[in-house]
Amino acid sequence: MTPNADSGNGHHRPPGSEFARFFEDMERSMREGLVPAQALHDPDLYKLERERLFTRAWNFVGHASEIPSPGDYAMRYIGEDPFIFSRDEHGEIHVLFNACRHRGTQICRVEKGNTSHFRCPYHGWTYKNSGELVGMPALKDAGSNLDKSRWNLIEAPKVAVYHGLVFACLDVEAPPFDEYLGDMKYYLDMLFLLNDDLEVMGEPSRWTQEANWKSGAENFAGDDYHLVYLHRSMFEVDVIQIPYAANMLGHHVLPGNGHALAISVAEDPEALAYWGYPEEVTSKYDLSRLAPTQQDLAKRSRVLVATVFPNLSVLAIPLTGNPHKDPPTAFIVLRLWQPKGPAAMELWNWVLVPKGASEEFRQASYRAAMGTFASSGLFDQDDSEPWQSIARTGGSPFARKIDLKLNYQMGLGIGSARQIEDWPGPGLVFDHRYEEANQRVIFERWLQYVSSEAYPPLTGAPTLSEAANPNGGPSLRMDYRTPV
Amino acid sequence: MPQTTSPNVSDALYRAAYEFLFTEAEYLDDNEMESWLGLMHEDIEYEVPVRITRERAAGPGFSDSSWHMQETWGSLETRVARLKTDYAWAEDPPSRMRRCVTNIRVSPGDAEDTLNVKSNLLLFRSRFDQTSYQLFFAERRDVLQGADEDWKLRKRVILLDHTTLGTHNLGIFL
Repeated sequence: MTPNADSGNGHHRPPGSEFARFFEDMERSMREGLVPAQALHDPDLYKLERERLFTRAWNFVGHASEIPSPGDYAMRYIGEDPFIFSRDEHGEIHVLFNACRHRGTQICRVEKGNTSHFRCPYHGWTYKNSGELVGMPALKDAGSNLDKSRWNLIEAPKVAVYHGLVFACLDVEAPPFDEYLGDMKYYLDMLFLLNDDLEVMGEPSRWTQEANWKSGAENFAGDDYHLVYLHRSMFEVDVIQIPYAANMLGHHVLPGNGHALAISVAEDPEALAYWGYPEEVTSKYDLSRLAPTQQDLAKRSRVLVATVFPNLSVLAIPLTGNPHKDPPTAFIVLRLWQPKGPAAMELWNWVLVPKGASEEFRQASYRAAMGTFASSGLFDQDDSEPWQSIARTGGSPFARKIDLKLNYQMGLGIGSARQIEDWPGPGLVFDHRYEEANQRVIFERWLQYVSSEAYPPLTGAPTLSEAANPNGGPSLRMDYRTPV
Repeated sequence: MPQTTSPNVSDALYRAAYEFLFTEAEYLDDNEMESWLGLMHEDIEYEVPVRITRERAAGPGFSDSSWHMQETWGSLETRVARLKTDYAWAEDPPSRMRRCVTNIRVSPGDAEDTLNVKSNLLLFRSRFDQTSYQLFFAERRDVLQGADEDWKLRKRVILLDHTTLGTHNLGIFL
């Protein structure tokens, strides 16, 4: 039966069945480092993402420091769905579907505020900021015999807080967050256990691109190679002051479950790096919270860039938007690549600064972030160019006709990066950073979600093996579905 | 707060402010970045605060702690220097832009030799072979400093009529 034929007899075909061949083909091609261009711009694949990815994966909603006081709230999105991110009168965090239980009216119509109760504008149904339905106008006439406790705002089925980062999951079948994060935790803990008093500065900024969200997620997963050319101007005007070749030294880390992380590591073990944080910050680090191998890696880390599958990226890097006056300053950016369409995304940007640092450092850190990685950011500006044109390629009829595959083969015997055999931490780890598995794992995990009605099982780190490749090409192949 | 041009501002001063804004817009529209930078005071404060939707009672929603841009002379000079490299992909090829500066109201500034200038900005931007375009609308609150027609921009706050920006980057000056 051809996948695209209409059976004509009214039988229900499961969603995505027209993609059966595409999914099989992609699973094969991913092992050889090839990604179908179609994955970056297809309306029907996007529909599958909406139904199977963002409704099942763990999604970043916000940082606990954004809603510090009871009644604080902000409006956020999980995939395309609006949720209220609130703190109730007892200090508990809630992630509440922004829809009145009466007629479905969106009850939160601003982006941020503080309230004890949400009141629907339509008929006045009133909910506490915890989501509990507590009343409505003319209660006796309109709502007698209504069991209000069954009509609270709908909570996201699962909510987890990791070092202040609040994640939510819309699927009761999903694994708990710490299993979902898996061994990625070992690496992100380096950053967040040492910098343990981070708070968001201000509100997140947002802008839009006619690009697929996966272009951003894969880039921040560890595309370090594009620094040499796309961001060459940054070296020429001294915004980045780590020499390019030295910056490429370090590691690509694949801990499993679609997460990826890249670390630029200083060669000199005595060079105190810690992502460029100054002594006033690093002197407060409690190193005993890390294992010795983590301590060593953290100490020599200059840059950390990572994507928590599917679409939350973390970046720590010392930069300056004003090299005349400001030396490179450490900052941490959280970046969410929100899907808005097959070739449309909204970029959300948070800057994290240490609460206990001097006001001077906090402002300098914020400025460094805003000048480089933000809507006007010197790096972000240039990223928008290839990403938008890649979406055009992805939607190309010719690309579909020839089943265009994109080359993500670096590290499969292409290039000189090598797997580190005796790495003391978890995951598959490469030395150095000219390597593209970090990008591939995002697509592969995406494939596992969109191609499967059942919840995709957790996977351990990918594995490398020899490739029997009679046609030439990469001498290695990667398997991504190691059972956990 | 509505602000008509103050009767304490002479016609000559009004005209000077008006001409300054049009000259500045022309330099930017024509990509004459060095000339534009020459209009910036060495102590320029150039800010684009993030805006979010708030209830009517809570005001227009401009953040006092997050910005899209918060520039000084040094960071503006770095942006211009970057545009001169061979690798400023975001603006090479350059956007086609046109700035309409209107509703200009001028009043005496707080410091001597300064003028407070309020205006509206409409910026059109298109790129490549696309028929689609971007429009930016904003109120600008400027402080001009100088005398005898040698004016510089000492401060600019750009109050955008946008919360989520409908642009792929703010690699341009508003």
